[in-house]
Amino acid sequence: MNQEQIDQYVAGRMSEAEALAFEEYCLSNPEFARQVEYEQRLKAGLAQVASGSTAEFVRSDHPLRWSLAAAASVLIALVAVFFYIWTSGSQAPRNILAAVTDSSPHDASLRLALVRGSDSAPALPPGLVRVEIVGLFDAGNQYSVALDRLEQNQKIDTIATLNDQLPSSPVSLEVLIDSKQLRPGPYSLRVRKQASGEEALDFGFVKF
Amino acid sequence: MDFIPGGELSRRIRQGDVSAESELIRQFEPGLRILLRRRTGGDHGLLQDLVQETLLIVIQRLRGEGIDDPQKLAAFAAQTARNLAIASLRKAERQRTDVDSEATDRNADPTQSVDRIASDLEAALAVRALLRELPHARDRLMLKRFYLDDHDKALICQELDMSEAAFNQALSRARRRFRQILEERGFAKRDLLSLGL
Repeated sequence: MNQEQIDQYVAGRMSEAEALAFEEYCLSNPEFARQVEYEQRLKAGLAQVASGSTAEFVRSDHPLRWSLAAAASVLIALVAVFFYIWTSGSQAPRNILAAVTDSSPHDASLRLALVRGSDSAPALPPGLVRVEIVGLFDAGNQYSVALDRLEQNQKIDTIATLNDQLPSSPVSLEVLIDSKQLRPGPYSLRVRKQASGEEALDFGFVKF
Repeated sequence: MDFIPGGELSRRIRQGDVSAESELIRQFEPGLRILLRRRTGGDHGLLQDLVQETLLIVIQRLRGEGIDDPQKLAAFAAQTARNLAIASLRKAERQRTDVDSEATDRNADPTQSVDRIASDLEAALAVRALLRELPHARDRLMLKRFYLDDHDKALICQELDMSEAAFNQALSRARRRFRQILEERGFAKRDLLSLGL
């Protein structure tokens, strides 16, 4: 058996008889079978990436330009943050929405996941709440998290936004919400993968 | 590790040799995974279940009555896996016919669905990392044309203006790197089975 036969099997181009013989060969040759499985997973992974957008296949051949642009953005952001801290004095109020670090103090926790057909929205506990957003995240990418208040007239009011958040695992992303600073009502955390055309995901909750 | 022929494995398992059962799992599990991956449409949970079920059936059969031709143990295991995949497909078809699909969606267990697609997610993460590392758009397009569009190698070389040698080299490099990324991230080992017999 050779690479060409692996390609044919993975592409589904073998006849049924050929495929059966190939599979039995794999059962008797575990190392060869592992090689085939990597091919199957490469194809499956490519299909999954392409199902979102094909942009990753056709992006520019000049990543350096993007790196320079990203570095410039970070520099501008740092200057802006420094300027904000400098002009707002030392008594700046605590942020409504903040990133989580290992040492972040918090009073309560809340877990948000997309559940179809749920009767009621989760309630935000009082105090400083560590919120775990459960979903499928690309650990190598940054996400923006926006906190929206859903007004009764269907208006959406974005209260705070956090950019450049990294997931804490492939299935969770965490933020801190200061519940004390929120009026009672329905809210939503809108999570969007940065630098992608993917739609944002909304995780609703209620502050009583 | 050495490959132990089916006849010897059958004999040792029949005699109660537990290490032979472990050896059978080690030898057959990778092959069963590729056979069943092709028949379970990316459903990782189902793939795991069917691999375990196949190995259980084969071991229990060898512990008991044995098989007609122990030399053809691999063929017996492969056919058992195929039969289980067909039975599972029929069962799913029946459920699709019998059950209110909207109600099923409403009551779907989100943790189960995350687990179900976890394997593809890992592969997708590794692919994203691979695509980020490939400096030339031509190499990324080559992967897409070859694996997703199923274009012929000669056609891809013509379209992307590359020699067959350059194509083979780039493809082989991408495969090697993909495997490395999976291994580095520990994804290659996550599929190992724990089989309770």
